[in-house]
Amino acid sequence: MNVDLDAALLAAHAAGDRGALVRLYAQAGEAAEAEGARERAAFYLTHAYVFALEAGDPKAKTLHARLKDWGCEE
Amino acid sequence: MSVTDLSNVLKPVSQARGLPNDHYISDAVFDAERDAVLFDTWAGLTVGARLPEPGDAVPVTFLGLPLLAVRSKEGGIRVFQNTCRHRGMILVEKAGKVGNVIRCPYHSWCYALDGRLVTTPHVGGPGQNTHDEIDRATLGLVEIRSHVWRDVVFVNVSGTAPAFEDYAADVIARWAEFEKPLYHGGPESRFQFDVACNWKLAVENYCESYHLPWVHPGLNSYSRLEDHYNIEAPGQYSGQGTLVYRPTLTDDGRKFPDFEGLSDHWDAGAEYIAVYPNVLFGVHRDHAYAILLEPVAKNRTIEHVEIYYADPDVPGAAWEDMRRTNAKMWYGVFEEDVFVVEGMQRGRHGLYFDGGKFSPAMDGPTHCFHAWVADRLQPPAAAAE
Repeated sequence: MNVDLDAALLAAHAAGDRGALVRLYAQAGEAAEAEGARERAAFYLTHAYVFALEAGDPKAKTLHARLKDWGCEE
Repeated sequence: MSVTDLSNVLKPVSQARGLPNDHYISDAVFDAERDAVLFDTWAGLTVGARLPEPGDAVPVTFLGLPLLAVRSKEGGIRVFQNTCRHRGMILVEKAGKVGNVIRCPYHSWCYALDGRLVTTPHVGGPGQNTHDEIDRATLGLVEIRSHVWRDVVFVNVSGTAPAFEDYAADVIARWAEFEKPLYHGGPESRFQFDVACNWKLAVENYCESYHLPWVHPGLNSYSRLEDHYNIEAPGQYSGQGTLVYRPTLTDDGRKFPDFEGLSDHWDAGAEYIAVYPNVLFGVHRDHAYAILLEPVAKNRTIEHVEIYYADPDVPGAAWEDMRRTNAKMWYGVFEEDVFVVEGMQRGRHGLYFDGGKFSPAMDGPTHCFHAWVADRLQPPAAAAE
């Protein structure tokens, strides 16, 4: 994960900003997927999914579907 | 199981003695009562007004048991053990909105508001949220049986009590006219007392009007002792009623709106009933309250007072002064009781106190409660043989 994204995530955690956490972890997941690091991508998208679930964010559905498609969710 | 001799308690009121001292000062008896009197029955835990919206949750530690009351998306209230099924972490520490799911702060296992386990992040390794040995269907939150009546969230921890509608059938029928929407008065209509007494003493004192002239002299002018009557439903509830409730909260004649459709009896009548074990209710033509007794220790109780009104406008700004006056009046009344319940608690350390002698005319409701407690602590007949 690049330094800026890492810093942004830490700031979002400190602020309890669920919307930012969903967005930033999804961004980290996409970046990992683009590098071919599927396991790392699933790790980050899991975090995005959990915070989306908690926030009631509609993105939870698509994140879940993606993880399920990868065999990482049920 | 009975750990003291309760034979004298179970006699008729004219011959009975009260519960022995150990029922107020013994840790062993407190524990026995926790199980037989509080966990095996329907006990008041919290009120719906503390979790008014879907997604609200209130953690409550009830006699050491960590519980969580949750309002679902559909609006109903359910109670769960506030314990993650993974490693036993407490899920929610503070009252508030939990969001769309209850997320454990330890490993982020997430539970839907109906208790279902929804996801188990990384349980099969980083990025792998499933594992063959983790059957989510069997790992939902442990639900505690609950029922809401008059906005009080009752729980039956043991799971063995009759349905609440049967357990409280008599008092539900008695107050059928008051089965109306209740509107909590808001922050100034909620207060509490942290009292150095066993919770049962608060019930016993509430039940009887005998003490009113001495402990609540302000009532003598408008609610005399002779205007009160005893209420006794053996095995269920007891309390007192008055025939002369006449609210005068302002000098300008303003009155709170009444509950709709009440019969004439309630024009000037009010009733105050302890629904066993631990909820004290009051009903009047224009407002109602619930006092939840939280048993903290054998010699400590927190009394949670919640005041409700008949009209949805009353919690608004226009009625604030009257709400404050009403809350202040009740605060003053209940504060006057603190010294007697704390005094009775200290008196229970008197080695030669025999549980006390009841006035057959005036202490019936109190003895009714003692007898109910004693009965619940009796060993099963088979075990006694």
